[in-house]
Amino acid sequence: KKRNKIILLDFCTSLGQSYPGKPKIIRCHSLEKETFSCWWKPGSDGGLPTNYTLFYSKDSEEKIYECPDYETSGPNSCYFDKNHTNAWTTYNITVTATNEIGSNSSDPQYVDVASIVQPDAPVNLTLETKTSASITNLWAKWSPPPMADVKSNSHVYHYELRLKTEGMEEWEVMGKYIFSVNAVLVSCLVRISLVLKIILPPEKPTIIKCRSPEKETFTCWWKPASDGGYPITHTLLYSKEGEEQVYECPDYRTAGPNSCYFDRKHTSFWTIYNITVKATNEMGSNISDPHYVDVTYIVQPDPPVNITLELKKSVNRKPYLILTWSPPPLADVRSGWLTLEYELRLKLQEGEEWETVFVGQQTQYKMFSLNTGKTYIIQIHCKPDHHGSWSEWSPEKYIQIPTEYRVKDMVVWIVVGVLSSLICLIMSWIMILKGYRMVAFILPPVPGPKITGIDKHLLQRGKSEELLSALGCHGFPPTSDCEELLVEYLEVEDSEEQQLMPSRDHGHAGKNAKMIPKETDSDSGRGSCDSPSLLSEKCKGSRAHALPSTLQTQGIRNVQENRGKGSCEILCLASEQRIIPVDNENPRSSTWPPAQLPNNQPPMFAYHSTVDAHTITLSATNMSIAPVLVGNEENHQPRYPITETVHCNLENRGEMENFHSKTDQTPVQVKQNRPNDQSPFLNPRLMDYVEVHKVKQDVDPAVLLKCKENSGQNEKYTVPGTSKEYTKVSTVVDHNILVLMPDARNQQTSVPQEPAVETPQNVQQSEAETDTSYIATAPSEMNREDNGSDYMDPSSFMPPFK
Amino acid sequence: MGFCGLDNKKSSISVSEAQEKSLLLVAILVSNMLLTKEGVTSLPICPNGSVNCQVSLGELFDRAVKLSHYIHFLSSEMFNEFDERYAQGRGFITKAVNGCHTSSLTTPEDKEQAQQIHHEDLLNLILGVLRSWNDPLIHLASEVQSIKEAPDTILWKAVEIEEQNKRLLEGMEKIVGRVHSGEIGNEIYSPWEGLPSLQLDDEDSRLFAFYNLLHCLRRDSHKIDNYLKVLKCRLIHDSNC
Repeated sequence: KKRNKIILLDFCTSLGQSYPGKPKIIRCHSLEKETFSCWWKPGSDGGLPTNYTLFYSKDSEEKIYECPDYETSGPNSCYFDKNHTNAWTTYNITVTATNEIGSNSSDPQYVDVASIVQPDAPVNLTLETKTSASITNLWAKWSPPPMADVKSNSHVYHYELRLKTEGMEEWEVMGKYIFSVNAVLVSCLVRISLVLKIILPPEKPTIIKCRSPEKETFTCWWKPASDGGYPITHTLLYSKEGEEQVYECPDYRTAGPNSCYFDRKHTSFWTIYNITVKATNEMGSNISDPHYVDVTYIVQPDPPVNITLELKKSVNRKPYLILTWSPPPLADVRSGWLTLEYELRLKLQEGEEWETVFVGQQTQYKMFSLNTGKTYIIQIHCKPDHHGSWSEWSPEKYIQIPTEYRVKDMVVWIVVGVLSSLICLIMSWIMILKGYRMVAFILPPVPGPKITGIDKHLLQRGKSEELLSALGCHGFPPTSDCEELLVEYLEVEDSEEQQLMPSRDHGHAGKNAKMIPKETDSDSGRGSCDSPSLLSEKCKGSRAHALPSTLQTQGIRNVQENRGKGSCEILCLASEQRIIPVDNENPRSSTWPPAQLPNNQPPMFAYHSTVDAHTITLSATNMSIAPVLVGNEENHQPRYPITETVHCNLENRGEMENFHSKTDQTPVQVKQNRPNDQSPFLNPRLMDYVEVHKVKQDVDPAVLLKCKENSGQNEKYTVPGTSKEYTKVSTVVDHNILVLMPDARNQQTSVPQEPAVETPQNVQQSEAETDTSYIATAPSEMNREDNGSDYMDPSSFMPPFK
Repeated sequence: MGFCGLDNKKSSISVSEAQEKSLLLVAILVSNMLLTKEGVTSLPICPNGSVNCQVSLGELFDRAVKLSHYIHFLSSEMFNEFDERYAQGRGFITKAVNGCHTSSLTTPEDKEQAQQIHHEDLLNLILGVLRSWNDPLIHLASEVQSIKEAPDTILWKAVEIEEQNKRLLEGMEKIVGRVHSGEIGNEIYSPWEGLPSLQLDDEDSRLFAFYNLLHCLRRDSHKIDNYLKVLKCRLIHDSNC
């Protein structure tokens, strides 16, 4: 049988068919200790289909079982499910291969389930770097191996992490890396994350520079490597030319952080130092590029000190500048070991570009050809004679070069002085020679008093009243008085009433020449008031034409104009007296001193209609008169007379009417305006009759105005001597009304400007004329008080000059 | 001269006067001519009647310092030119730390040493260094022409340095003779064996040999200049320059 078998075997082998080869159990392993699988490797199949059967027996039993599941774990494997797995049992497993010829069994494999547990690889490994505050964290996250039975949470996995640098052969398992493991139970799954902190070795430090300030010691500075949150120590190492030995920096402190100070003992010249800086942390170290230093060539001194600037004058008085300085205190120049050369630069303070001057080894410098009157900024720096580098510039020094006016200007002044004294000499000489002429030129003769001229004309014409007025105005003291006079005069001129009045002045053509334009110009009063030049021109004109020559008559003539001229002359005279004594014919007389500008001019005249102006004029007249005549009557009641006068005038134009004033004034003012009166504002046409104002205190004041009809009577008013004074009381009506009759007295012989006023208290007009004392006080009071309308009766201040 | 001075004075006084301007111009011209003539001839060092007429030690030192200053200036320039032209990017400096042929002569390395060493020893050292450079300078002046496209400035400087070095050596011998009161120190010097390296076929090596030689020349010329300045201050100005 055996033989047969052998034969068969031989046969089979001869046919290429034989027993199957011995299978080999490769491994058994359990994923989770609850099930396990075994794999085998089939042997040669012997050329025939071979079946593989796995048998196992448990250590506790003799019984032999066959594999329960050949499918689950793939081909050539056997899966032992939970029911067939016992963690506490050792399995004896063999695999038998069988074919037609025979069978072959593998070596038995003893399997202890607990020992063959091998989990699957963790899955879902992800890597993520997170950088915060210069620390880079590497996060590795993964999931535990997937399991069929997810219910169990009793498994504890141990993980191992290995790293290797890309391209490297060897894996590094954890190694020096710090890591922490967080185990988190999520849905029965163990999820583990690993935090890696990677500490990199430091970067290369850089040696910035080495410098020797005095050619005896030197210092090197470096830029430290970034520490990455972990301490780095820097080490400076150096070796000297021709020596193998490497030394460490002798002094890290003296020159501050990140520097190394080589004192005298450690400093050699004409030797190359090979200096490196090593940065070290716990991960490793890095070395800077070597720095080759020959101390001879790295000398950079400190800037020079004790810089002094001194200005000096050279022989020819030109200023020059001496600069002195000292070498930096560290540098030992005396021994000759270090030789310094200097360079200075300067510029004007406002300049842009520096001018550089190489000085050499000397420690002083003279500067010539300086711009005088300018400020210079000067700086100095120094450098060793051969090698090394320039020091910093010294602090800026300022110096101002004074202007040399003493030299130049002195000459100029001397020349000027000599010349001027020469001129003076010549002048005085000439003056001595022709002394009287010069005197006459410099001090022109005081023009003779105007009064003579006036006298001439007036006397020629025999107008004594004008003469008197002219006399009266002489030496007229206050400026304002004259001004007021002017205003009054102008107002009188301006009065349109006069124009409207039928005039009978044909016989009086002589003196009215200048009035023509003013009559047509309704505003002329104001204009002439505003512009003194006009007035003065007018004055001139009137003066010029004051002669009884033939003058144009426009049919509208007024005696008032004549009066106005008279007052104008007075005014001019007054002003002339105050300014410069000028000849009568001198046009300069027209110059109006600014002080005399009528600043206190009443503004209301600026817009008043002619009628208003007229009334105001009249009222002003009354105002001025009122206090004068009434005497102790309060001066600040000018309004009432105004209204009264106005009424009177208005009434005048019609027929004479009586009207009652509504004022409660006690005094009764009676005014008479005489045509030949010296006061210009007394309009004879308007006021040729008598105004009687009587106001009773207890009874309603009643004033009766009796205005005489002007027409047909006025032609004679201008003729001196025809003026009448209403001094007579003709009748007394109702105990309150006085009727005055004109007195045929010659006005010229008496007080020219005396307004005839009769009041119950003061009836004696003749006494009033002669009594000048109370009149004299009037102007001043007026001026003080009356701002609204500075009107004054010129007549009130004339008497003193009588 | 007397006339000249008088005239100058006179002219300076009468600067402002326009009448003498022409005169002044003439005077200045004449004086200038005289002065220039005077400049050419050497100044009379020895006062009349002096028995031992010789240049003072201070004057000798002045000249020596000027000369050494000049030599160092030239050698620095030459080295810089060479460095710019041939040594860029070759890292010669890293190799040049091997020292110079004169390194066998122990010279003061810092101020303290220079001040402590006896001036006679220092003078002898200077002499030694100068002598040690005699040979190499001669070869340098000739071999430098073999450098490719060597600029004339380098060539000229090599020759000039060689000549000036000889002059300085003479002057130093004179100074040493004066200081040593006639005794001449033993002729120490450090031999130079670098000629073959200057004639190497490999250009890189040859350039490096030149580089090293010029580098050493610059260094030693500076040493000499520095020592001379120290000695001058010490011997002539009593350490108070």
